[in-house]
Amino acid sequence: MPRAGGTNATRADERHRPSPVRIDVEELGKSYGSFAALDNVSLTVKPGELLALLGPSGSGKTTLLRAIAGLTATEEGTIRFDGEDATVLSLRERRVGFVFQQYALFRHMTVFDNVAFGLRVRPREERPRAGEIARRVRRLLELVQLGGLEKRFPSQISGGQRQRVALARALAIEPRVLLLDEPFGALDAKVRKELRSWLRELHTETGLTTVFVTHDQEEALELADRVVIMRAGRVEQIGTPSEIYDEPATPFVCEFLGGVARFEVTAKEGEADVLGSLFPVEGDGDYHGPALAYVRAHEIEIVARERAEGVPAVIRAVRPFGPTVTVELSIEGRASRIEAEVPRELYSGGELGIGQGVFIRATSARIYAAN
Amino acid sequence: MSSDPLALDTSRIPSRPSPEPRPFFRTPVSETPLVKAALIATGLAFIVLMIFLPLAAVFFEAFRRGVEPFFASLVEPDALSAVRLTLLVAAISVPANLVFGLVASWAIAKFEFKGKSFLVTLIDLPFSVSPVIAGLVYILLFGSYGFVGPWLIANGYQIVFAVPGIVLATIFVTFPFVARQLIPLMEQQGKGDEEAALSLGASGLQTFFRVTLPNIKWALLYGVLLCNARAMGEFGAVSVVSGHIRGKTNTMPLHVEILYNEYNFVAAFAVASLLAFLALVTLVLKSVLEWRYGGELAASGRH
Repeated sequence: MPRAGGTNATRADERHRPSPVRIDVEELGKSYGSFAALDNVSLTVKPGELLALLGPSGSGKTTLLRAIAGLTATEEGTIRFDGEDATVLSLRERRVGFVFQQYALFRHMTVFDNVAFGLRVRPREERPRAGEIARRVRRLLELVQLGGLEKRFPSQISGGQRQRVALARALAIEPRVLLLDEPFGALDAKVRKELRSWLRELHTETGLTTVFVTHDQEEALELADRVVIMRAGRVEQIGTPSEIYDEPATPFVCEFLGGVARFEVTAKEGEADVLGSLFPVEGDGDYHGPALAYVRAHEIEIVARERAEGVPAVIRAVRPFGPTVTVELSIEGRASRIEAEVPRELYSGGELGIGQGVFIRATSARIYAAN
Repeated sequence: MSSDPLALDTSRIPSRPSPEPRPFFRTPVSETPLVKAALIATGLAFIVLMIFLPLAAVFFEAFRRGVEPFFASLVEPDALSAVRLTLLVAAISVPANLVFGLVASWAIAKFEFKGKSFLVTLIDLPFSVSPVIAGLVYILLFGSYGFVGPWLIANGYQIVFAVPGIVLATIFVTFPFVARQLIPLMEQQGKGDEEAALSLGASGLQTFFRVTLPNIKWALLYGVLLCNARAMGEFGAVSVVSGHIRGKTNTMPLHVEILYNEYNFVAAFAVASLLAFLALVTLVLKSVLEWRYGGELAASGRH
């Protein structure tokens, strides 16, 4: 499927490509009545970076993106493009390429006219000639792998193609930054995966500072240079995908990334017992009191009964697909089941029967003080 | 056959059991033929009695004395003046409501503000208020014993029992048609397209003419047609404010009534048939539009 077109035309343009823009968001605030959509949000998007805004619905990620674009007015704070205050600029003056969640393609226009729109509405003195517009539109459509679809209407092409038309249309105005709202939200799983790697390549190709919003943690971690995790209008954590994954800053980040079992434990002298082993509390070597422990599925080990380490558990279900086998276990005194990812060999060895009693232990755990 | 190893030996395949007579099957939402026939007959009878026969009667009565009296009663000065006034009233009130309706639906569909639902109710008001009351309201306002009427009359502006009053009453009665067509469509379309156009650098006017208007053009045309049909046919409100001055403030529906009251049946039905003809033309145009715009709506639904 689509690979970002490395045509000669695009390479030639790279020579006089303007340097990418840095975005500074400073203490941004926005509320709808008593609901704070953005609460003192500050972050920096480095020039040329691909940044993901990740969070559950209502976390303010789309509001932040729309505020950067100038589509939503904010009450407090400043947004700067390369140091210049953008909050005083109109939507038009910000020159932001925005790809909408439902693409918002103009349904009465062909693919060609959609992409050409941004060039045709320019004031006469800045407007390229018709031939130049046609040349640019063709080149953009090639870049997004849609050459030959110029005469189709949006209703005559697939969802993935619409998405790419929307991108080409946003790129046509030679934007200073590219903003994408849930770029793959409306697509099915297979097309999503394909477009993901394609977008990554396109980003390398255009070199634009790009921010995208998603609620899919896998998408954010796989695609972005850095990820901003948002919750209730605030920034919860900013970091590279590996930082976020390896060192989740808060219990919320842990739970949002998913695939974890949560334990309510009591810590003593900065340590707590999780499934029979002791692990340190994050950031406080002396902590006493209630704490939350998170263990990822692949950090739970099923051990043979004879070794008698860990805690006793009963196998309730086995999901034997994928590179590892997922085992659902129940332990005494806990209502929800625990998932463990174990090597396939263990399963094919016939050691995992439903109803069978085993012992489980944690190989690693992250523990956060509960107050 | 046996020489080809891949060939099927049909003799060994058990022959399919002969199909048993299947019990008559109908879908759960269907009815028995008898009930169906009865329902269809009732519907047809109703349409013929209530709609087709009256319409046919209009044309039949109009041509009862032949073609000549028919045309004579149409070119007679009072009739011509009524036709002219009707067209004039429609030509003023339809564009006025086109603009009002467009502005109102734009505001309602694209923005959030206090009193929005009140505004929607207000727009619907002319549908729920009796046209006679609509006419009376203007007499109360602009009549010689009304609130502002005496002052206007003293300054030489005659509103009631004159063309301005008829136009005002018609605008009032036909006010909801355009807005009612546009509001649901514009609400469904949302603000996304406009935001996209603006973010691509279009000005407000460019956005309106290149994006908003093309998105609603069929619904707008449809609303205008309905509005026009009603504007030409309105009787009640116009009757109250017109004063029935022959050759001056008589619209076609009023002229029909006067002729009928004078037992001039041929002329009455001739003018009525002209009105009915205009209505039929509107209906045909409307059907064509529905056909066109229905497809467009479906396409945007798929979108």
